Amino acid sequence: MTLDVIEPAVFAILSIGVIGGGVAVVMLSRITAAALLMALTFLSMAGMFVLLGAETIAAFQVLIYVGAITVLILYGVMFTKFSDQPRALFFQRQTPLAAVFVAAVAVPVVIVGSISFAGGPARPGGGDLPALATSVFTDFAFPFEIASVLLLAAMVGAIVLTKRDDPEEAAARRRR
Amino acid sequence: MTVPLGAYVAVSAVLFFIGCAGVLVRRNAVVILMCVELMLNAANLALVAFSRKYGSIDERGSVFVVFVFVIAAAEVAVGLGIILSAYRNRPVVNVDEIHQMKG
Repeated sequence: MTLDVIEPAVFAILSIGVIGGGVAVVMLSRITAAALLMALTFLSMAGMFVLLGAETIAAFQVLIYVGAITVLILYGVMFTKFSDQPRALFFQRQTPLAAVFVAAVAVPVVIVGSISFAGGPARPGGGDLPALATSVFTDFAFPFEIASVLLLAAMVGAIVLTKRDDPEEAAARRRR
Repeated sequence: MTVPLGAYVAVSAVLFFIGCAGVLVRRNAVVILMCVELMLNAANLALVAFSRKYGSIDERGSVFVVFVFVIAAAEVAVGLGIILSAYRNRPVVNVDEIHQMKG
């Protein structure tokens, strides 16, 4: 079957996109480029969801992450100013020690994770939208409603936080 | 699915640690927000991969991913709002230079 040959290659390309984009976000000092490479990471991740057979999630990923969140972050970048020293917040003198600690935690997790679950699939992939929709609107109907309230609260909160105080209005409030 | 589940878990773990390192190392608040998004996305990949392998027919893992999307969108909106309002008071975006909220 040709798909069996193509799938590992596609997975390799996508994982290079995901990890390379992630490294670039951390390493690049130009924030606009970092944001665009973050979009590359998200796009590769959507490809991985397609490989896993979760097409609906891949569509959401493209719409929400690649579309909305990247654009929001780019707006945030444009509204603020760059800094000359992008790195070294905590690890200023402790860099070697920090690298040792990170390796001590990260390497076992990656190795154990990749060894422990080296099995084949339990079932073939397929369209996941009916199952997803059934779950969301039956068992998870209440969390779904809570999530919509959370989104509304976040929307109102973001507007309140970024609203510029009208000077006359503020003066009127002080007089009251 | 010829790619083993372990490969997806490994990519997810690597991306999570990259995001974690970014949150700890970078100073720009917007970049820290981006790295948090990377971590959330890594968790999404692990959720979908495990749902494919072990999940029942009703896609529980994908449902959690949908909720993570909602949380991520809300977090970016509120986080950028906080960054912009802090930036308006004093034009700095580096988190170690924002002293106003220190008690």
